[in-house]
Amino acid sequence: MTQPRKTNLETEMLVNVRDLAVTFATGGSTINAVNGVDLDLAPRETLCILGESGSGKSVLLRSLMRLNPARRTHVTGSIVVCGHDIQRAPERELADLRGSVVAMVFQEPLTAFDPVFTIGRQISETIMRHEGVSRGDADRRAVELLELVQVPMARQRLAMYPFELSGGLRQRAMIAMALSCRPRLLLADEPTTALDATVQIQIIVLLRRLQQELGMGLILVTHDIGVATETADRVAVMYAGRIVEQSPIAEFVANPLHPYSRGLLGATIEAAKDGNRLKTIMGAPPDLSRLPPGCAFLPRCERAVAECRSVMPSLRSPSVGRAARCVHVERE
Amino acid sequence: MSEQLTLPIRRYGQATNARIGEIEKAVQPLLSVRNLVRHFRLKRGMFNLSRQVIPAVDGVSFDLFDGETLGVVGESGCGKSTLSRLIMALIEPQAGEIAFDGKLVGSRDMPLKEFRRQVQIVFQDSYSSLNPRLTVEQSIAFAPRVHGTDRREAIAAAWDLLDRVGLRPDQFARRYPHQLSGGQRQRINIARALALRPKLIILDEPVSALDKSVEAQVLNLLKDLRAEFGVSYLLVSHDLNVVRYMSDRILVMYLGRVSEIGPVQAIYSDPAHPYTSALLASRPSLDPMARHTEPPLIGDPPGLDAADAGCRFRTRCRSAEPLCHQIVPKLTAVSDGHWSACLMADRNSGHSKTIMRTRSAAPMEEGSR
Repeated sequence: MTQPRKTNLETEMLVNVRDLAVTFATGGSTINAVNGVDLDLAPRETLCILGESGSGKSVLLRSLMRLNPARRTHVTGSIVVCGHDIQRAPERELADLRGSVVAMVFQEPLTAFDPVFTIGRQISETIMRHEGVSRGDADRRAVELLELVQVPMARQRLAMYPFELSGGLRQRAMIAMALSCRPRLLLADEPTTALDATVQIQIIVLLRRLQQELGMGLILVTHDIGVATETADRVAVMYAGRIVEQSPIAEFVANPLHPYSRGLLGATIEAAKDGNRLKTIMGAPPDLSRLPPGCAFLPRCERAVAECRSVMPSLRSPSVGRAARCVHVERE
Repeated sequence: MSEQLTLPIRRYGQATNARIGEIEKAVQPLLSVRNLVRHFRLKRGMFNLSRQVIPAVDGVSFDLFDGETLGVVGESGCGKSTLSRLIMALIEPQAGEIAFDGKLVGSRDMPLKEFRRQVQIVFQDSYSSLNPRLTVEQSIAFAPRVHGTDRREAIAAAWDLLDRVGLRPDQFARRYPHQLSGGQRQRINIARALALRPKLIILDEPVSALDKSVEAQVLNLLKDLRAEFGVSYLLVSHDLNVVRYMSDRILVMYLGRVSEIGPVQAIYSDPAHPYTSALLASRPSLDPMARHTEPPLIGDPPGLDAADAGCRFRTRCRSAEPLCHQIVPKLTAVSDGHWSACLMADRNSGHSKTIMRTRSAAPMEEGSR
């Protein structure tokens, strides 16, 4: 990536997604995984996408790097990442982008790494591919990277295969590989879900520190509100393929707008005082192949009214920087 | 044993039918586990000749009382799932014994078949623990039929149980597991566990595979059923919040051993073992203004193959001293019903940071925990 950048990227949004819809064809039915998402990310911002399984959060994240299986996926809308039109970019340009401009950390590092190559080989290969440096230089960078993510005895670890490392070290190595070409945007899909509690908090603190030191944009996908409160500047809550609420994290925790957000926060055990029952959201998420025309959360909502049934509520913004898809939210 | 009498046991379902003698019964543990040991040999190296041994459960003892929920917490590889399988006799221990209702399991008084009628288990993976070729009602009625209930009666009981776990029998009884969501399947597993009217249900990570909103539904259901059926739970989980919400007492495991055991309030507000403190401090903060700046522990839990003399937590402990490399700490009482396996909990251990709040710092005698 030696060419001069086309526009002034420091002031421009890192991510600009408009009206994104992603559907998968499976068997006889069509799964509407993402249904009209608008999303922006400013440079150096950390956004958490919060949602349950099947909410479309991982599919949205993968679309940003065009990682969804091309043959079965139908995508409409526009995705611009760091000034590049991801939808229209030829495969060759995408291969340049992935790793150098935008990089991804996956949930399960054991399956994301290639089991037959050492950690060091996989990291230096990425550096050589994108920066055209010699193997020796790439190997030196790999050692620095492992030290950056606080892997003890970095030099020895580089000669190890993924299965020889513990879960926490593997995830650190995964982060080192993602950072190897100094990406401007880091995507992380449930990066701490597979880890133990004492290791999870280490990775959270590390990710936040790296994001600040390297000045990256960071999008974290998680189902865990705790991960969001530890890392995010802003949260986007997804339900049935739509962003139902976007808020700065502090305001989200103090005063969630959408009934689903309220339900999620109420269902956390911390919210239940000793001995009290947990507040629950009744029912289960909707079938993504048969979404209703109105609000998808309606069957589970305690405040549903007639107008929720006919059309999906538009985004309403009660204050600057906040918005929710609910008819009960007062506009500013 | 006298310490045990003062344990704050919350009892459920007895308000209406409390009888004289009920108090006496509460003293007798429902389940007693003594010095349970299970090591696994690692298959590694040419022809699996490696002699490396993993002490997954290494001398675990505890009591579980009638009507209480005992939570077992620890990180992956600490042996908590092996422990639950040992109790269910799904794998055999190499040493140690289990008594149920005061009778030795496997003896003539408590043969395995009778024990398994009284103790049931709910697994984490709700799908693989159900037979895909049986309908919901057949699955629930299966065990009662094995134990001699006639078919029509067993199915009727299954319908009743479906209703109690919050699924409409006319809608769900004839469905197959693949036609259900994860939360619904876990409700079926709970109904099936209740079908034999057991006294104890082992819950092995019952909500770990569920979404948060569904998790809350299932936890509430489990609490309701405990009151309704008067069962006791042994709840195994890695989730400290789940365990706190559900349990009366907590047992913390680290690398195959009990590091701390005590009433839930004591463990969460005043942990006596440095591992427990670190585990509690590792929970993500829910206040964005009070985020972690430093992780409480560094490094991963070491593999169990590193097991040897001394305290197993010493490699990650900030308070470790040379003494900790030599002495295996015994469970020591720090307050009523609250024990910690740390040299700092024992005033006479010689550790420089001995906790002075210790009231009676005598190491616990065998068999009294």
